[in-house]
Amino acid sequence: MRKLAFFIPFVLFIGLSVFLFSGLFSDPMERESSVLNKALPAFSLPDLQQPDNLWTADKLKGKPYLLNVWGTWCVTCNAELAYLTELREQGVMIVGLYYQQPSDAAFGEVFNLAALQQEVALKLEQQGDPYQWNILDKDRSLIFDLGVTGAPETFLIDAKGMIRYHHIGDINPQVWQQKLAAAYQSLEE
Amino acid sequence: MKAFFLSLLLFTATAQASQALIEFQNPEQQALFKELTQELRCPKCQNQNIADSNAVVAVDMRNKTLELVQQGQDKEQVLEYMKSRYGDFVHYQPPLNKFTLILWLLPALMAFGLVLVLLLRRKAERTAVAMESGDKAQPPQQLEKQLDQLIEQYRRKS
Repeated sequence: MRKLAFFIPFVLFIGLSVFLFSGLFSDPMERESSVLNKALPAFSLPDLQQPDNLWTADKLKGKPYLLNVWGTWCVTCNAELAYLTELREQGVMIVGLYYQQPSDAAFGEVFNLAALQQEVALKLEQQGDPYQWNILDKDRSLIFDLGVTGAPETFLIDAKGMIRYHHIGDINPQVWQQKLAAAYQSLEE
Repeated sequence: MKAFFLSLLLFTATAQASQALIEFQNPEQQALFKELTQELRCPKCQNQNIADSNAVVAVDMRNKTLELVQQGQDKEQVLEYMKSRYGDFVHYQPPLNKFTLILWLLPALMAFGLVLVLLLRRKAERTAVAMESGDKAQPPQQLEKQLDQLIEQYRRKS
């Protein structure tokens, strides 16, 4: 009994060390999305380039696709455009959900659709265009319903409109191979 | 110098006044809004509440909280609305479930363990005292002799 008690501090120390050490490699941003395995929330949002065309959750059903939340203001999003374009060429369907940042009235900023359309067209021409089309979420309503915290974020959505996977951060060859490829291929079949 | 600091105080007062004012229908809604924005956590800038943060998502959450409060929703409804989108993570009070059970159990277990250790130690002390008082009846003469020898040794050395 005495000898056993002698080892208690040592065991506690080892336990604490393992706990803290594993903390060094954990990502505090990583947590399961609460919209996972639920249907895409209902919405009605305009197409970025053809604002008369309204997209709804129902219109997007029929084929698995990636819903990629991005914006031209977001540096990481710009960096992933090239690889996403490669994926599109391999036959992956990618829909853009454009994250519009709030205009700061104090600085005299006003939302200008024509200027945004031009900016997006130019950006996609330069970096590659992975998107079948872009949905403009000016007030971030669908973005809010999806629990998006920033850009880029990507949702994998199946043919029935159910959210199957959520990824925070950019998509690069490594992330695609390790996390998304298998999930996407299982939905394709 | 005093005047300088006072003028600084004045400056901060005007800087605060330039923020947009929110009007509430009644003081209860105002109190609820204040409580909620302090309890809801910004999912982007972790460890800040949404009252504290100016990240886009925090501003959006603040506006949504205001909208729901002004619609007359109570605290539970607003929290449920936020949790269904941003998860339990978004509320500073974690719910009791199988993943968080350890948060409640661990302090109780530690307190229990501490009491156990204290009781065992007291028991051990008592037996030790009992043994010591038993020894005192017969002073160990051999030990006394050894001590004398040691003292003698060190005296010679010095």
